[in-house]
Amino acid sequence: MTAMARIDSVTLSVINNALVNICREMGTAMMRTSYSPIFNEGLDFSCVIFNRRGDMIGQAEFCPTMLGSAQYAVSWTIEELGLESFKPGDVVVHNDPYRGQCHMPEHMVLRPVFFDGELWGFVANIAHVGEIGGMAPGSFAADATEVYQEGLRLPPVKLISRGEYVKDVWKIILSNHRTPKTSWGDLHAMIGSLGIAETRLTGLLERYGGTFLTEASDRLLQYSERWMREEIRAIPNGEYRASDCMEDDGVTDQPVWIRLRLVVRDDEVIADWTDSDPQAKGPVNATFVVTAAASYSGLLHVTSNDIPRNSGCYRPIRVVTKPGSVVNVRHPGPSVGGNTETHPHIQNVVVAALSQAIPDRTAAAEGASGCNFLFAGVHPATGEYYTNYHIDGSGWGGTAFHDGDSALCPENGNCRNTPVEVLETKFPWRTLEYRLRPDSGGPGKYRGGLGSSRILRVLAPEITVNALMDRTKTRAWGLFGGKEGGYGGIFVKKRGDTQFRRFSEAFGTVSDSKFTRVVLKEGDEVMIHSPGGGGYGPATERSSEAIAEDLRQGWISEKAAKDLYRHGRQRNRAARAKRGPRSGTGKR
Amino acid sequence: MKRNGGGFRCGIDTGGTFTDFVGVDEASGELVASKWPSSAENPVESIVGVVRQSGLPPDSIRFLILGTTVATNALLQRRGARVVYVTTKGFEDVLYIQRMNRRYHYSYEWTKPLPFVERRDCLGVQERVGPAGEVVAPLETNDMERLADMVAERLDGHGTQDSAIAVSLLFSYLNPAHEIRLKEFLQARFPGVAVSVSHEVAPIWREYERGSTVVADAFVKPLLHRYVHSVRTSLKRLGLRCPWAIMKSNGGHASASVAEGQPVNLLLSGQSGGIIGGRFFGNLAGDRNLITVDMGGTSCDVGVVQGGALSYITNYEVEWGLPISAPFVDLTAIGAGGGSIAWIDKGGFLRVGPQSAGAVPGPICYGRGGSEVTVTDANLVLGRLNPDYFLGGRMDLDPDRATEGLAGLGRRLGLEAVAAAEAVVEMANENMANAIRLVSIERGLDPRDFSLVAFGGAGPLHAGGVSEKMGMARILIPPYPGLCSAFGAALADYQVDKVWSTNYRSDSLDAGRVLGQLRDLESAACEELLAEGFSLAPEIRRSISMRYAGQNYEHDVPLGQGEPNAESIQQAFAEFHRLHEQLYGYSISGEVIELIRVNVTAIGRTRKPQLKAPPNGRAAQPRIRRPVCFSQGGFVDCPVYRRDELPARFALEGPAVVEEVDSTVLLHPGQTLRVSRHGVILIRA
Repeated sequence: MTAMARIDSVTLSVINNALVNICREMGTAMMRTSYSPIFNEGLDFSCVIFNRRGDMIGQAEFCPTMLGSAQYAVSWTIEELGLESFKPGDVVVHNDPYRGQCHMPEHMVLRPVFFDGELWGFVANIAHVGEIGGMAPGSFAADATEVYQEGLRLPPVKLISRGEYVKDVWKIILSNHRTPKTSWGDLHAMIGSLGIAETRLTGLLERYGGTFLTEASDRLLQYSERWMREEIRAIPNGEYRASDCMEDDGVTDQPVWIRLRLVVRDDEVIADWTDSDPQAKGPVNATFVVTAAASYSGLLHVTSNDIPRNSGCYRPIRVVTKPGSVVNVRHPGPSVGGNTETHPHIQNVVVAALSQAIPDRTAAAEGASGCNFLFAGVHPATGEYYTNYHIDGSGWGGTAFHDGDSALCPENGNCRNTPVEVLETKFPWRTLEYRLRPDSGGPGKYRGGLGSSRILRVLAPEITVNALMDRTKTRAWGLFGGKEGGYGGIFVKKRGDTQFRRFSEAFGTVSDSKFTRVVLKEGDEVMIHSPGGGGYGPATERSSEAIAEDLRQGWISEKAAKDLYRHGRQRNRAARAKRGPRSGTGKR
Repeated sequence: MKRNGGGFRCGIDTGGTFTDFVGVDEASGELVASKWPSSAENPVESIVGVVRQSGLPPDSIRFLILGTTVATNALLQRRGARVVYVTTKGFEDVLYIQRMNRRYHYSYEWTKPLPFVERRDCLGVQERVGPAGEVVAPLETNDMERLADMVAERLDGHGTQDSAIAVSLLFSYLNPAHEIRLKEFLQARFPGVAVSVSHEVAPIWREYERGSTVVADAFVKPLLHRYVHSVRTSLKRLGLRCPWAIMKSNGGHASASVAEGQPVNLLLSGQSGGIIGGRFFGNLAGDRNLITVDMGGTSCDVGVVQGGALSYITNYEVEWGLPISAPFVDLTAIGAGGGSIAWIDKGGFLRVGPQSAGAVPGPICYGRGGSEVTVTDANLVLGRLNPDYFLGGRMDLDPDRATEGLAGLGRRLGLEAVAAAEAVVEMANENMANAIRLVSIERGLDPRDFSLVAFGGAGPLHAGGVSEKMGMARILIPPYPGLCSAFGAALADYQVDKVWSTNYRSDSLDAGRVLGQLRDLESAACEELLAEGFSLAPEIRRSISMRYAGQNYEHDVPLGQGEPNAESIQQAFAEFHRLHEQLYGYSISGEVIELIRVNVTAIGRTRKPQLKAPPNGRAAQPRIRRPVCFSQGGFVDCPVYRRDELPARFALEGPAVVEEVDSTVLLHPGQTLRVSRHGVILIRA
């Protein structure tokens, strides 16, 4: 009797839970010990376990953005360094976007786990390190034209070798980051949590044995793959197309198009992106792994929530891209915004294509912008230099069954906002408002969610700001007659001004939504509007009760109720005529 | 009934199915117990019922402590007051924005949880305090007047009985002056309307978490007020003149009038008695490191006692994304009980719970129309439960129906009925083991250093399997396991927790200020105890919550016993480094430490009763023998004992079964059982 035959489904699900729990523990430790708000308030990290072949066999629900890419980052590391190079006590770091990473701020640390003297697998986490040098403080160089402006690039190298710090590498890293103390704290939080995961995984190995656990995790991979294939089989065969654009690339004021041909054939999906625009000059390029992760995520959004999340889920999905395009950046093209802005756009396009096949399981477009706002300066109270990465949530699209949520992290991430009280305790800003914007949700039978508005006033002599946003000139589309969500935007009111203006007007930036190194003075104010989500189904089909409730709570204005929803008038039934799936915001 | 001296100290536990009553004679240690069906609609009726049922004359009851689920249920069922929420202008949407994250990674089905207040009832008032506690914009009287007009409009048509006002202003945890003024103003303008303010309810940073907590408090306050009034009236009608109190989430109790003033502290009122009872019996058996498992019909609560002390957490979620911040005994509740349903997910995995068949229709074997396999059905098929002595013979179980059900489930798993039953029990045990991991391993504790205290109707049946999974060598089973929670309520101490947020650094510390704050909190806590009628010297525990400068989450570091001084703060810093090393595998010596919060707990210890010991005597004889299935061992012929026939110091080797009215103890092969001189059953693996 082989070990395989002894693994019953009860044991399998016990092992699956155990692997997920190890990843959760890893994440909790990181949250509690890290330094940057994007870590501990934002939870912008992922925790994973891999087998020695480089298959992801466990993960926990923190930030999904890195999960698809973890697959590639780990297998690249194994391939480049070779299995034999890993020794007990090693920690490898890696953020290279051309070697399977999603963009430079995302750092993976990985630790080999040995059992009975042999390499069994890896525990790893990928997290957003807030400042890694480069041309813009906060390392979101929205007008970068090459990777060298985006910060310090690290191919897979050892940070710790057999338990000893590789001091030369640490020195290089810490002397290239603007806030080395924070990097030091965050990297230690990441590495510390690997130790916890290693201990727990070793405990599991002692309980079940190495061979047994390998076979059990193989079974889990097969199980997820089988289930995913069943789910895909339920999607009608066909070829579905959709497209969307980035409004500009930060360097040239031109839209950049992403085009998808999605083929569903029995139990397989091919996401073919070859018709997308060539690589952009500015940093809205996605690495191949971002495009792959977004393609996977689109499918995961419309399939069962209960499938154990491992590499098996991805096996039935093939991703095709052309190197040197906006969906597969080639060295030395910049890519920092590809992971935060282009990533949700790509995923939205996948869902738009699927909406033609399975309308009830999909949603209209969401705001799809991280509203990345980076700032840096010297805190007047402490005299210390700081940088910070700040994000906002946008409106989600309506679905066949309910309105979209307001102010939610884009689909590619699952980060939290930074509380006003935390932000102001750490940085010299005063928040004047943090609220939802009425009428910013796309009208529809099921309304899009609202975007938010945040106004910040500078309380220091100077703060240097950078932004990387999208959907300030384009909008989140509606589905099946639903209307577009509200525009996002970032605006400035200099001290003494009476009105907010675009940064292009006030500071001559090329792009309204992507710029770096703008210096604000004490008393200046920044207003960040996150975009709203698209509506689902014609607004004229929205129930009067739902409209009345929206009015009552202040989610829509009287004017919108009258003009967009025809509330209180004879409903124009003809308005229903214009139905049918529509995807993308313009040309195909 | 003639009583000499004492009188009874009584506890009441309101469960989902039954309301339990336990009275302990403080002089003789005699125990009186009763059970009465719970009524979700009218919980006071069950209290009256269960007190009457006990047969105790009213004047023999000295003190009564109540564990109640009224506050929790009001939140879960969203049946509370209409709340108006007042906050700093510009931040009215914070309760709707929440934290921007989602429960699931990949789902279009999930939506954000709704706050306990409508958006239109979230009102802003002009004022602002900054991050150093400085007033940036004053709170003007005419703005308060305008606010009052808006509040009046929102509350129009709602009686004061159904209305409440919650106030949470930015940075009020550093400077509460504006909240204090608003509270006084609103109370004067809206007499009779409950007002909750955030610096009193939860003086913590993060505006969403604090706001969510104060709204929950206001939401249930009028209801709690009515509940307390109704209990008071009913107890009077029964002729009870004794003082009575309500269990709090922190495992202590507070007099009813204090408790109703801050109902957010009562969310675990109905659950925290269990761990107190478990700790009591653990201590009787000489164990101070305990993991308590309270498994009933629908759920299982797992808690930790370390060195005789409870662990606490400060966050509780009514549903995902709706946090409530208050002191809670660290209990992890999971949907694993006798009634938990076994099902097969889409991928073909067997799952157990969290859905429960409840008492009606109940498990298949109840024969009341239940058609879904439950944990109880599985235990019956394995011979672990006695079909003729369930609830002391008050209910007959039908093993044939259970076997049929398990066979059906087994067919879908490719297993025989018995193997399927084993799998169901195994999954239930695994779920419990996971809950134990959460409260132990995830907190840096090794469960093998702990004894497992198992109680509740189903706890003693599963303890053996669960302890095996966790490598725990010692199991304790209290007498009357089904009544342990009510017993715990009767034993609970007075406990007041006070916290205050600070913003100090170790490199520029004014120790005098920290010590001053500790003293202020201590006297506030002691005053509250005195007001409750506790006139002895309370036990004081002090701690400071710290983190490395730059980190965002803090750890409570206890200060040593005795009056603290500058030296004890330095010792606490050293202890923080050590704790960090222990929890995360590293520490950063020389790093600046931030002091985030000072905490003081005052405990008014109550006298613990001496329970009557079981008689010494002859060895007990098994009532019958029956075949019982243990994992992988097949059916083994087992002796079956009655617990009330086991004398002190009685010992037994497994496999065996010990039955009592409300529970069944399963002794696995290889385990040994001994009855302690206090009647606690000790099992060794």
